[in-house]
Amino acid sequence: MSWSLNEVEALARKAARGAGLSWGLAEEAGRATRWLIAHGLPGAEVLSAALTRLDGLPHDAVAPLDGWQARDVLCPITTGAALADLGAAGGGDLRLGPVAGPLLLLPFIAPHVVTLSWDGVRLGMRDEAVILGGAPDGVRAAIAQSVRIETGPAEGRALPLQDRAELDAETVSRLDAFAQRTYAPATEASRIAGAGAGLADND
Amino acid sequence: MTDPAAQTAPDIVPRPPAQVMRLARLGAFHQHRLSFLRILLRRAKAESWRYDRRVFDVDARGVGHAVLSMHTPKHVYSLVAFAHDLPPEMRSDRVIATAWDATFALFDGLPTEAEIADLRANIPLQEAGRVGPKVLSVSRANRSVRLWDYVVGCLAAGHQPDAERIEEVGYLMRTTAVYGSGKLGAADREATADRPEFQPPFQIEMLAVWLIRTFVMDLVEHMARATSPQAVPLDPALRRRFGIGNSTGLGMAPYLINHPVLLNNWIGVREEALARVRRVQTATPEAAATFRSLVARARLNVDLWRSAHPLQLEKLAELRADLDRLLAHLDTADLVHDDPWDRLWRWAEEALGLEGQEAVVSLLLEPYGDLVDGMDCCMAADEAAAFRIDATMSVGRLAAILRDTYGWALAIDWDAPPAQARAWYTSAEKLEPRLGERWAEPVGDYEQPLSPGRDAARLAATLADWSEAAKVAEVLLRHPEHRHIIRRAQIAARHPYAEIRDNTIGAEVLPIDLLRAKLAFFGAQHFDPRSDRWVRISLYPGAPFPDELASADPDDWTYPTLPA
Repeated sequence: MSWSLNEVEALARKAARGAGLSWGLAEEAGRATRWLIAHGLPGAEVLSAALTRLDGLPHDAVAPLDGWQARDVLCPITTGAALADLGAAGGGDLRLGPVAGPLLLLPFIAPHVVTLSWDGVRLGMRDEAVILGGAPDGVRAAIAQSVRIETGPAEGRALPLQDRAELDAETVSRLDAFAQRTYAPATEASRIAGAGAGLADND
Repeated sequence: MTDPAAQTAPDIVPRPPAQVMRLARLGAFHQHRLSFLRILLRRAKAESWRYDRRVFDVDARGVGHAVLSMHTPKHVYSLVAFAHDLPPEMRSDRVIATAWDATFALFDGLPTEAEIADLRANIPLQEAGRVGPKVLSVSRANRSVRLWDYVVGCLAAGHQPDAERIEEVGYLMRTTAVYGSGKLGAADREATADRPEFQPPFQIEMLAVWLIRTFVMDLVEHMARATSPQAVPLDPALRRRFGIGNSTGLGMAPYLINHPVLLNNWIGVREEALARVRRVQTATPEAAATFRSLVARARLNVDLWRSAHPLQLEKLAELRADLDRLLAHLDTADLVHDDPWDRLWRWAEEALGLEGQEAVVSLLLEPYGDLVDGMDCCMAADEAAAFRIDATMSVGRLAAILRDTYGWALAIDWDAPPAQARAWYTSAEKLEPRLGERWAEPVGDYEQPLSPGRDAARLAATLADWSEAAKVAEVLLRHPEHRHIIRRAQIAARHPYAEIRDNTIGAEVLPIDLLRAKLAFFGAQHFDPRSDRWVRISLYPGAPFPDELASADPDDWTYPTLPA
């Protein structure tokens, strides 16, 4: 089924929040997922795998608080945001890991001329397009033990840009299960008062 | 009417955000020249858009479909309307409804038979259906029980309905949701934003509603004809008095908070427009006469504005008194010489309440299309472009931004229960925004980030423990819970009108203030709150229909004409 990019971004944002990320990081997750899909990559699928791995872990277990590693496993949204905030991606070679859903790092470092690689897959940018080289199936990895960010352009084929998303049912169902956690269960009082009805709405 | 370069006093600047961005003032806004449906009609007129009703296939029970198309210079847009025979007990304006009197898609192009069949399988279901990227907007409407049967009956009996009774309601159908920008699988706004006709905000939705109004008037006349061979059509002048109603609840309220750059651009353009008119040093006698006449018409408009809600009755009384005061002032005021509009504005700020002041803003823009209309293109926004946080900023600078933009919030005692009495949340049942009582309902854990003031105060408390020289990046790494408000604060520092400077979760907050501000920018009239969080309005009352636009003024219809 074809989705609009706004729908996917909203679903990804809510799912990330439901999995325990702060609202500000959940917004980053929504943007990153949309960006990946618009650039021809399986952003929603990788996000659902990463959130499943990271579900319920506290910030200090998944954040790069002490070098580019975490007490448990690096969250790609938290780590990507830190890479962007610290301007770290443009400043020479980095090794990170282990990282859940490493593909989600790409949107955060895309402004820099760098190559992102793990397990035989290499990603970079040329103009507006993502360049994919090496073993393409690797983009779907749920986790990578070691991720490299190197200065310099990537070699490979350019992926065409997309303006719609094709999501498989399992990805939607996993993301939706996380998103559901952000919704308050209805009570009789909220049904009546929360939306503000009371007067006749039909005259 | 004026040459702005030769005749302006440069020392008049737009009003400061601390004055404008208060909920009570935003809740007193009125439609104006830069409201979105007026931008649409001006463009349709200037570009001679051509209208044609390609299909009207509705049976005697009122069931069927129609296709109403608008031809713009480069694109054709078609309203595909489905009319239904809805049992009265199923008719509800609330978003929890599952059936409607009519459902609509605005389609990109001319739909084929197969595409119409596909729409017929999905559009009547609304949220339970799916659409594709050739659909730009999905919406639905219900009949006014008070007016529909009455008007059909009058026309079928061969006579015109009573104008007074029409004014009591103002519309034959009201929309209960107009979805755009990717909802239900429709095209993203980004997919059409490069078309000039859709560059300003909400043009897709405004076009859909304009065509819905046209369809509804055609439908009521059709139903009268189906009832009786003696039926007459509506008198064209009376026909124009009908707007299209809209019933809006909390679903729309968080929008302005969630789109800070867009809000900045809407308000900023309106404030710049006011400043430009105030800078006119000498007005033409024609502009002065236009203004005088418009004030009288605006006063008449208040008498046509019906509401039963105590809060609105109070506002209407204030507006009536303000406009009476303004009319008395105009008896002697010189509106031509010596910075006439700035003098008038300064008088209004002293003499009038918020309702009257904001009405004067709208009225002052009317004679000055040449000064203000060109700014319509500046009202759109690219929120994505403002998304990235500048994490190289120092903690000292961020703290200064907080004091500047959120000083009002830093002064609130957020530990006092009334300060956080409410929480915005999304209901599991309908996935719609709601406002709950934080201390009485289990909603706090589900709170949406719609309380910038409280969040700024929390951030300020955290920053107090950091060195002023530290970088924001370091704070973000340790405190992911502040990422949202840090982004907002940086946006607000670059966009002065981005942030509402009031508590949006306090015991006193009135969501209808947010609704009115947004709806006034749409071009809505006759705000009629049904509670503190739900409002009915009318769109396009008095406006020309698409087939009348060639011979009509696209602007001079929002205030009723004075009796001869």
